[in-house]
Amino acid sequence: MRSSNWRHLPAALIAVVFLLPLYFMLSGSLRQAGLPPPRTPELLPSPLAWGNYERAFELVDLPRYTLNSLFVVAVAVPLTLLTASWAGFAMARLPRRPAGALVALSLIALMIPLTALLVPRFAIFKELGVINTYVPLIAPAIMGTSPFYVLLFYWSFKRIPPELFEAARLEGLSPLATWRRVAMPLVRPVTVAVAVLCFVFTWGNFLDPLIYLFDQEKFTVPLGLRALSTLDRTNFPLLLAGSVAATAPVVVAFIFVQRYFLQEFRGAGWLGR
Amino acid sequence: MIRDRERREYALMLAPYLIGIAVLIALPGVVTFALALTEYDLIRSPRFIGLQNFRDLWNDEIFRTSIRNSLMFILFAVPLRLLGAVSLALLLHRRFRGAAGYRTAGYLPTVVPDVAYALLWLWIINPLYGPLNLALDAIGGPTPAWLTDPRAAQWAVILMSLFVIGEGFIVAMATRQGIPGELYELGDIEDATPLFMFWRVTLPFMAPTLLLLMFRDTIFSFQATFVPALIVTDGGPPPYATTYLPLFIYRNGFEYLRYGYASAATLVMFAMTAFIVYLQYRIVKRWRHAFVV
Amino acid sequence: MAGLRFSGVRKDYGEVRALQGLDLEVADGEFLVLVGPSGSGKSTALRTAAGLEEVTEGSIHIGDRDVTNMRPAYRNVSMVFQSYALFPHLSVEENIGFGLRARGVRPGPAKVKVLAAAQLVGCENLLERKPSQLSGGERQRVALARALVREPDVHLLDEPLSNLDAQLRVHTRAELKRLHQRVGATMVYVTHDQVEALTLGDRVAVLNEGVLQQLGAPDDVYRRPTNRFVARFIGSPAMNLFPATALDGSLQAGPFVFETRPNLPERVEVGVRPEHVKVTEGDEGAPAEVQVVEMAGNETYLHLSASGSPLVARVGADVRPPVGSIVHVRANPADAYLFDAETGETIS
Repeated sequence: MRSSNWRHLPAALIAVVFLLPLYFMLSGSLRQAGLPPPRTPELLPSPLAWGNYERAFELVDLPRYTLNSLFVVAVAVPLTLLTASWAGFAMARLPRRPAGALVALSLIALMIPLTALLVPRFAIFKELGVINTYVPLIAPAIMGTSPFYVLLFYWSFKRIPPELFEAARLEGLSPLATWRRVAMPLVRPVTVAVAVLCFVFTWGNFLDPLIYLFDQEKFTVPLGLRALSTLDRTNFPLLLAGSVAATAPVVVAFIFVQRYFLQEFRGAGWLGR
Repeated sequence: MIRDRERREYALMLAPYLIGIAVLIALPGVVTFALALTEYDLIRSPRFIGLQNFRDLWNDEIFRTSIRNSLMFILFAVPLRLLGAVSLALLLHRRFRGAAGYRTAGYLPTVVPDVAYALLWLWIINPLYGPLNLALDAIGGPTPAWLTDPRAAQWAVILMSLFVIGEGFIVAMATRQGIPGELYELGDIEDATPLFMFWRVTLPFMAPTLLLLMFRDTIFSFQATFVPALIVTDGGPPPYATTYLPLFIYRNGFEYLRYGYASAATLVMFAMTAFIVYLQYRIVKRWRHAFVV
Repeated sequence: MAGLRFSGVRKDYGEVRALQGLDLEVADGEFLVLVGPSGSGKSTALRTAAGLEEVTEGSIHIGDRDVTNMRPAYRNVSMVFQSYALFPHLSVEENIGFGLRARGVRPGPAKVKVLAAAQLVGCENLLERKPSQLSGGERQRVALARALVREPDVHLLDEPLSNLDAQLRVHTRAELKRLHQRVGATMVYVTHDQVEALTLGDRVAVLNEGVLQQLGAPDDVYRRPTNRFVARFIGSPAMNLFPATALDGSLQAGPFVFETRPNLPERVEVGVRPEHVKVTEGDEGAPAEVQVVEMAGNETYLHLSASGSPLVARVGADVRPPVGSIVHVRANPADAYLFDAETGETIS
């Protein structure tokens, strides 16, 4: 029998290392601003300066920005789930040649860094007159936000025995109905995973709001955080407090759903081979 | 007749995605080509100037520096990140007590919004207050001037990228879990050392995925360096030590309003990416033939 | 080469007890078959022998070595998995030689052994191919060759024929038997197919729910089952079983009436194998209605209903009464088995 006991120590060490940055974010945010540098790295500052959070919320309108971010996420994530799963499903049901071409297309699209699209997309949206609105932020959700999500759905749908779909077809189900009644219920973990990934990406998206939003009141959280950093460059406890406020929603959401997301894929071989 | 109706529905389901790709990826691609040949500030009409942008790029010292910086980043960050992702995957893929917690810990830094992450590291690598230098000092190690020394600054950016390997981690882990367990049981019976199993079984099985991860990471490097460079190091320390290509493009486009110039740089960046990926593909292919004994 | 001995082996998976106190000895060079339905613990027993599972209690000996706490690698056993577990990215030759290379045998001598093993099973002309290019039967042979090449003390085989189609299975069975006769190695073979068990094994061990029901030569297990389970599990179609009622000094079981015997427990059951059910055209014996006629090539199985009890009779191919007709059945008391209805033990 394969013993996994030896894994505990290195795994615990690694976990500590990876959690350190987050820990520093928390502990740093509770330092009293303006104190001289400590001699040694302090584990927990004293006194605990919760005032940093107050100040952060005063200087920039974080609650409003949070609402803005939530709005974008609330539209983008469901939209992404819809379009990505639709596309993935259609690709999984197409015959081999067209499906292969679409997969190749997706892989190629995946290879293009977002920064390469910054300038031309801006030009396009400018022509469309939607600068300084949320449209450019939500637009990617119409195409499933990322070809990666489409591919995730595609691979998952491919793993479902085709006989299930044939049976649905014989019962008279249309593709859309099959997608809704047969396919989607079977891929819940992937749906959760895509929702989480999309949420994380959209919430933390800095590039797009940076170039498209000019009105302060429209800012999303990352942008608000950046504004905070330009207001008080060296007040780290303040900035970290803002960071914690920006990070907390995502971390909390992630911890709730990680069980679907980091589950076992044993015997599946859904990637690679 | 039924077939037609089905076909229409499938087309409907594919439409948003395909239209999206066309408008948000293909169209910008074409636009980039067009803009690269113009001088355009998005206020006045574009002015066609042929290949002048490329000539200017060729002579632009900052551009050359940013290419060097980006290449240097790729050279170090991609292998290290890949190593990190695979190590995490191989360590945490089995079901054992607390595994879920350790996996979450490994993925958590990736979840942090870019800006918060960058500000956090701005704090961590602060030469005076930051935990990193304080800790290094406490154990008697060197305390580099992360923000003012060019080399150190570049390494700071690389260091930052090593914690956000979440996606690579789960992809590698999913692949490893997909290898049939019986092969390893056979290894147990045949007295194969773990190293033997790794070279002969685990690695060959994971090779295609690792290749994909390597490609993706290379391309991703042209994105990952943007926020850190903008917020943490601001492209410095002088002169332009951490100005990477994405930052160069952003600055020229959105700060200097030279969208044509920025488009030309984008094209160069894209060509470079394609070339590097192609190189990686060839090298790995040759290596695979030699190594599969 | 050596024998294998299970002593009081028990295996629990949490609450579930897969094996109860198994005591079993496999002689050196013997071909022993572990047979039983799903969940009977046969695969578990095999895996504990291999060292892939730890025993909860008890010990395992190979030859005179106590291997209970030894890692699989040191036990000197080989295993053929039901799915063959061939490495898809290695050639047949590399697959067979995998264990040798793992132990550091040099390529030269390794190749010689690989060739010898390949020739034994008849796949020497497939050495260059990859598993994906092989048929099911060919893959199975490669898996066998890999097990043979190291000449271990004991060969363990976990339902190796289950994935083959019926005809291939019959053919491969004979080849396996021939192989064993040539090589003379100790083989422990697990299957759920009782036909395989009877045809292949020198001895057969029948398991049910983790308990060894009977150990003996195929003939013994077939003709002299020690309990009701073995009687019904071995033999196809399964033995007919009827609850018996005492009636005026005789025993009535289904359509049959036998002489009763003294000292019988309260409730008994009577078993008659389908081939011992004599179907007569005439009026001798009890009437039975023909419900289903299964034509199996050289013989016919009649599914009958006699005074409410279903039974199956095995008759010659030319006996094909129409469905719904009435035939008469009788049985020789010497062919019948008596079981204690409570314990299932055989009485005679």
